Amino acid sequence: VTERATLDVTDRPSAPEPPAPKKPSKIPWWANPRVGLSVLLVGLVVLFSSLRPSFLDTQLTLVPLQADISVYLVVGLAQLMVLSLGHMNMAVGRMAAMSAFAMGLAYDRLGLPLPVDLAIGMLVGLGLGALAGLIISRTGVNSFVVTLALDFALVGLITILYTTFTNGVAFPTRPEGMTALRFDTFADYCAGDICGPEIPLVVPFAIVAVLAVGLLFRYARLGREILMTGSNEKAAELSGIPTRTRVLQAHALSGLLAALAGFLLAANNGAFSANIGEEFLLPSFLGPVLGGTLLAGGAVSVLGTVLGATLTQVIYKGLNLLQFQLDQLKLYIGLVLLAALSLDRVRHVLAERRGARA
Amino acid sequence: MTTQTLPSLVPTNGRIRSIVRAPEFSLAIIAMVGFVALAIASNGNLLTRGTLDAFFRFLAVPVVIGLSQMVVLGIGQMNLSVGVLTGYCAMVAAWMMVDLGVPAVVAVLGALVLGLVVGVVNGLLVVFTRINGFIVTLATMTIIEGLRYGVHGPDTYQGYSPSLRAFGRASILGLPVVFLLALAVAGIVAFFFARTVTGRKLLATGGSPFAARLSGISNDRSIVIAHAISGLLAGVAAVITVAASGSVNSSIGDDLLLPSFAAPIIGGVALTGGVVSVLGTCLAAFLVRLVDVMQAQFDINRRSIDLIVGAVVLGAVLIGTLRQKLLRRST
Repeated sequence: VTERATLDVTDRPSAPEPPAPKKPSKIPWWANPRVGLSVLLVGLVVLFSSLRPSFLDTQLTLVPLQADISVYLVVGLAQLMVLSLGHMNMAVGRMAAMSAFAMGLAYDRLGLPLPVDLAIGMLVGLGLGALAGLIISRTGVNSFVVTLALDFALVGLITILYTTFTNGVAFPTRPEGMTALRFDTFADYCAGDICGPEIPLVVPFAIVAVLAVGLLFRYARLGREILMTGSNEKAAELSGIPTRTRVLQAHALSGLLAALAGFLLAANNGAFSANIGEEFLLPSFLGPVLGGTLLAGGAVSVLGTVLGATLTQVIYKGLNLLQFQLDQLKLYIGLVLLAALSLDRVRHVLAERRGARA
Repeated sequence: MTTQTLPSLVPTNGRIRSIVRAPEFSLAIIAMVGFVALAIASNGNLLTRGTLDAFFRFLAVPVVIGLSQMVVLGIGQMNLSVGVLTGYCAMVAAWMMVDLGVPAVVAVLGALVLGLVVGVVNGLLVVFTRINGFIVTLATMTIIEGLRYGVHGPDTYQGYSPSLRAFGRASILGLPVVFLLALAVAGIVAFFFARTVTGRKLLATGGSPFAARLSGISNDRSIVIAHAISGLLAGVAAVITVAASGSVNSSIGDDLLLPSFAAPIIGGVALTGGVVSVLGTCLAAFLVRLVDVMQAQFDINRRSIDLIVGAVVLGAVLIGTLRQKLLRRST
């Protein structure tokens, strides 16, 4: 526990939105993880496009890349919501899958239009997250255990539900507008001669999520109180913050974002299927952690999450274009993660030394 | 029967009260009741030689993998790479026997050493980068997944060493040898934590790193040792897998990560570190195996097992918390 506390204190200045530090941060700009990420990102884009010029091909690469980033960015934000508390959400993928199931069912059985389906699915996600949050805040059991058990339970439930209500794999029907979300970009919509940019229709969803989460943690009372709860629960409690409610709310919002991510993936794949969310767990941690968010809680970096998620997807896409096999892909993603984190650590230590000398 | 093989977990002062109060006691009762109930419900089918043999044979890996996770939980960290590491070691052992043609003994040693080495690397990475163990093992899990697939692609190894297969099939006094091996490993781990200086130091580090440091214990060494043992145990699980199942492919270990957490957590091991329970972990693995057999006996949907296990994990944890609260109130 003490290790955690010291980690928390020493690493705090690198986080972008700490609760207004009293003394100015001594960490120089180059020790900021987001600067490193940006440099790495630019470097990789240059590398990939020089190796494979098709990396800059709009239709082949850039449009699908944007759609992928949108999905995994929202997944990262879902994890970020609970990382702010120092908690984890191991069920992030399964919450997305349950929500996607609810969306599919709402259309398949009730024929509700797309926005209503989305709303129902997000409510299901919100409910699942709230359930996890409720158990965690009422019993004080570690969030890892609760969400892991929830994940176990949902894996079983989802398969049963899909075999009961569909052919077992996916809903055969999809609401009107799903196809447009999947294939269209704003370039397909023109007002007179002026057409939009080559941006897929799913991107605005992610942008709204980023802005909402960013504003929540920076300006909203709820967000600040969640961060304070994550930083020091006892102190927060003593300052009159209803910490149990904040824990519940953070988990509920995590479920909500997971539901949105499930919807975006379903839109990208073109179907509400049982395998949605299966690959969410690793990326959900990759984005925030690469972006400099700690597991200790109390500090988050939304911009870092954006960069982290983008970097991960750029690497996937680039290695894919270079025709790496799946196993090599995993190998390199893991190595990049380790390297990025170690470099971050090295930068941090150097910065601390310089700060101490100054 | 597991109780007798793990003497160090029975409270040494031997008072009945403390035994009844131990969290393992209720777990043992539940396990026994569950076993008897399942035996009756299956019309005694569970007690036939073949079923009982399979029951214990496939209990070996969950026990060892649960212990592998437990060791790292003991110092307050997690090892997400246990499952894929088991698969990787199993694949390498099979590769050594089939493609290199080395004797089974060398392949077994190779798998154990590989597990140990990867564990040490995990530990060193945690120590040197000062990154949270969860993240480090998340990264190494991804890397090992790639390596595991790289051994033989999507293909399956089979028809390796008949002697190792015979070892996997053998039974002594009606109990599979691999299960006895798992019990022996559990006994060693229990002895390690109860009676050796290194084991006590690990628990001290897990309980309070700060206090441990002040008492002259190297937390860094504890971290490396814990991860090394965890890796070694994953290697043992790999050997059991290779011996007990006639073929291995690159999907081995994918379904081990969640059970590896389920067993220690149901068994009462705290995620915050400092507490381990070998007996609890073994009993919990036994319980999960019961649920598994129940599925096979009554032909329940395969996936509803996950639902039940999830509910059991959550229920066990909630009961444990409740129990502690009640005990605290009564004293």
